[in-house]
Amino acid sequence: MVDTTLSRRSFLKASALGGGGLLMTVALPGCSTMGSKGMISDDEWQANAWLRIDTNDTITFVLDRVEMGQGTYTGLLTLLCEELEVDPARVQVEFAPVGGIYNNPLYKLQITGGSTSVASSFQRLRIAGASAREMLVNAASRVMDTPADQLRCDNGRVINAAGKGLSYGQLATLAAELAVPSSPRLKTPDEYRYIGRYNRRLDARDKVTGSVEYGIDIELPGMLYAVVSRAPAYGGTVKTADTSQARNAAGVVDVFKIEAHGRHGIAVVASSYWQARKAQQLLQIEWQTPDVAPSSDEVFAQYARDLDNESGDQVRAEGDFDQAASKASEQLHVEYRVPYLAHATLEPQNCVVKADEHGMEVWAPTQSASMARISAAKHSRYSVDDILIHTTWIGGGFGRRIMQDYVAECATIADRLQQPVKLIWSREEDTAHDWYRPASLHRLSATVNSKGQINGWQHRLAHPKVFDWFVPDAAAAQYAFMPKFMFPTLAVAGKLGEGILAPKDSSGYEGADIVPYALKHIDVRFIQSDPGIPVGYWRSVGYSHNGFVVESFIDELAHHQNADPLQYRLDLLAEHPRAVQVLKRVAQTASWGKPLPGCAQGVALMKSFNTWVAQIADVKVEQGRIQVKRICCAVDCGQPLNPDMIKAQMEGGMIFGLTAALYGNITLQDGAVQQSNFHDYALLRINEAPELLVDIIDSQEAPTGVGEPGVPPVAAAVANALFAASGQRLRSLPLTLS
Amino acid sequence: MISLTVNGVSHQLDIEGDTPLLWVVRDILNLKGSKFGCGAGLCGACTMHLNGQPIRTCIMPVSAVAGQQITTIEGITPAQGLSPVQQAWTELNVPQCGYCQSGQIMSASALLASNPNPSDQDIDNAMSGNICRCGTYPRIRKAIHRAAELQQTAAFYEVKMPDSNSLTASTDAGEQTHG
Repeated sequence: MVDTTLSRRSFLKASALGGGGLLMTVALPGCSTMGSKGMISDDEWQANAWLRIDTNDTITFVLDRVEMGQGTYTGLLTLLCEELEVDPARVQVEFAPVGGIYNNPLYKLQITGGSTSVASSFQRLRIAGASAREMLVNAASRVMDTPADQLRCDNGRVINAAGKGLSYGQLATLAAELAVPSSPRLKTPDEYRYIGRYNRRLDARDKVTGSVEYGIDIELPGMLYAVVSRAPAYGGTVKTADTSQARNAAGVVDVFKIEAHGRHGIAVVASSYWQARKAQQLLQIEWQTPDVAPSSDEVFAQYARDLDNESGDQVRAEGDFDQAASKASEQLHVEYRVPYLAHATLEPQNCVVKADEHGMEVWAPTQSASMARISAAKHSRYSVDDILIHTTWIGGGFGRRIMQDYVAECATIADRLQQPVKLIWSREEDTAHDWYRPASLHRLSATVNSKGQINGWQHRLAHPKVFDWFVPDAAAAQYAFMPKFMFPTLAVAGKLGEGILAPKDSSGYEGADIVPYALKHIDVRFIQSDPGIPVGYWRSVGYSHNGFVVESFIDELAHHQNADPLQYRLDLLAEHPRAVQVLKRVAQTASWGKPLPGCAQGVALMKSFNTWVAQIADVKVEQGRIQVKRICCAVDCGQPLNPDMIKAQMEGGMIFGLTAALYGNITLQDGAVQQSNFHDYALLRINEAPELLVDIIDSQEAPTGVGEPGVPPVAAAVANALFAASGQRLRSLPLTLS
Repeated sequence: MISLTVNGVSHQLDIEGDTPLLWVVRDILNLKGSKFGCGAGLCGACTMHLNGQPIRTCIMPVSAVAGQQITTIEGITPAQGLSPVQQAWTELNVPQCGYCQSGQIMSASALLASNPNPSDQDIDNAMSGNICRCGTYPRIRKAIHRAAELQQTAAFYEVKMPDSNSLTASTDAGEQTHG
């Protein structure tokens, strides 16, 4: 349990609103993309959620987390409303802009990622709701001259035994003058009305009528449209450019060279999007290839070289693997590889910026408003204080919108033109200029002892540090009060501060280091190797590849031991009861051992973002084609908040993971991405979508993330099923039968 | 001048004829419900109805649809309430990020208008042109079956109780096929 007295002082404040009413200011714990480990201490005061009760009974919840499909909006509101005693559907939700009244002087990094929103807010939002409720009851107690213990709350009203009472709006002004209770009573789980039960998705209605306003839908008076041609390889520059034809094209306002967020190109600005696109076709550009411009085979050759030559950082050590190897009666050595992947959010990158003598306003579908502000400041004449960021609804994030390159470009363009500008990336540009899920190369070894049992596990992987690509804006965003000329210094300091000022970047090896199986000798090593291809955070980050590698290799070991792959895992998981539970439950759902007609089954398990997920895939091979017929999933994410939303996130995660398993492959030629649109970077379609069955473990543990943990086991479950079906062990993604 | 009829309203527009219908509808008529996803007819986010048939408007030059009946997501949304498809979509919590859903709903509405009781196979055939990156496919399938039920109920009430105002969806479903 949280010490409510201490926490209340550090994260909760109440105040009166100007025109009457109550404002509760809440600091939710820091939220970070770097695995499950926050970049900022949870205890630092950082206002990022606000509950407003107006005298007209409007209840508003303002929060700094963004909604990109994962249901944050409904989940956080469920927590608050449980204790506030209000139907979540009655509360209006707004996104907090950065730079306006919601800008706190001690402001830190604002990011939605790492599946942390609900987990980190579980206690604090309930305490905030309970505190407001008790203040409203105390206010009613005075006005109605009734002891507080004879009053109760009922959907936005405080009532007495006879059912008579006052609304929250009527009580809010008085309540704001009362002390915040030192330890408000929180409900016990048997009293929950919404937690674990609330299944309405609050944003569904606006999303089926097309009335949700995404970044790409923002419209300003006198707005111009911009498109940018970028160097095909990251770091490439414009060698020569003939822009005369483009300049003379209909509607064109300006054509100019641009450098933003490390990308060089030429921007075309016109009165309409289509005019800008047509003029862009008339550009004649010769690009200068950068010094570092590898092709895919060179990327993997570099990884192999570094694995050959470097011992790397040991990130997990049990027993003595080297000794086990020297005594082994047999050793297994295999190599796994995974490719670069694009995020392919369905809403392409875009941004709207208005710049004038008063300052700069940015509307962006961003996962980090605070980094967007740094990026806009870096790429314009404006100081951080003169920039206001509006976070819009987001048409898919998956980590792509943690990077702020589209904000950088649009800020550069609007700064020059001093007119409102909307920048839209084409699908081709979006695919070719992403911050990719890193490709990686893995070497695994297992040792067999004299009794023929597996007793050692070694996993060595080569992978870049995503942190290095992310830190320039992130470091500056943490110290946004510093003057702009300090940004480059902060970027350098941020990079050097990895593991000191910020937690170590575990993004490459997360999931590999926590291999849960009770083998006596375990040695996991991370070999940092950066081929120079831009990389970023991609839904489930390091778990996305390590889930595949670890869970395929353990399957290999099970088969080596002639053991049932499920039973083999269970036998090695005595210390992880939650893992055992999800495995047993999914085995039940999938009738393990009795595959669907013509199918074979594969199982996989992964703990990511503190959530355990086990999956079983039923897969068929028909005329050499892989057909995934069904995936069953059991998830233990602690106390389920909105069960249907957890189910939806697991379903979505499985489709996302299956797309990567079957199709995902970004390849490079001289540093340039070779894929462009959905014909050559295919996403799973409805006719390929398997049946998905999700089983949620009932639990009263603190809730943990659900946005990402559905992804990591999928590829391994399918690959393991394919081995059972075909005898082919596929150690490379995407899965391709020979 | 190009004459365009969108959701029953006629417009005379002074635009270049090769402009894709999507951008005309979004940026000139300011109906933002239809989305841009790929610009190549590969994802279906831009789906509208042309004389009741679903089309990919990101690659459809506006000159090619002049004078014909175009319906957008705004056009199939009743003034009050929701269409049976939209109703089913909310009942089953289909949307996640929601970006593709206008296009999904336009494709599903066209399917149900021509095939009131589609099989899973019919759904796969009609909906495989619409990508959902969030992976809501299993729910889309269920929602289409649910919409088929709702549509039949609505049709039933329309026949039995022509004055019923509790089911605005039925009248609007009818409007949608006629544009």
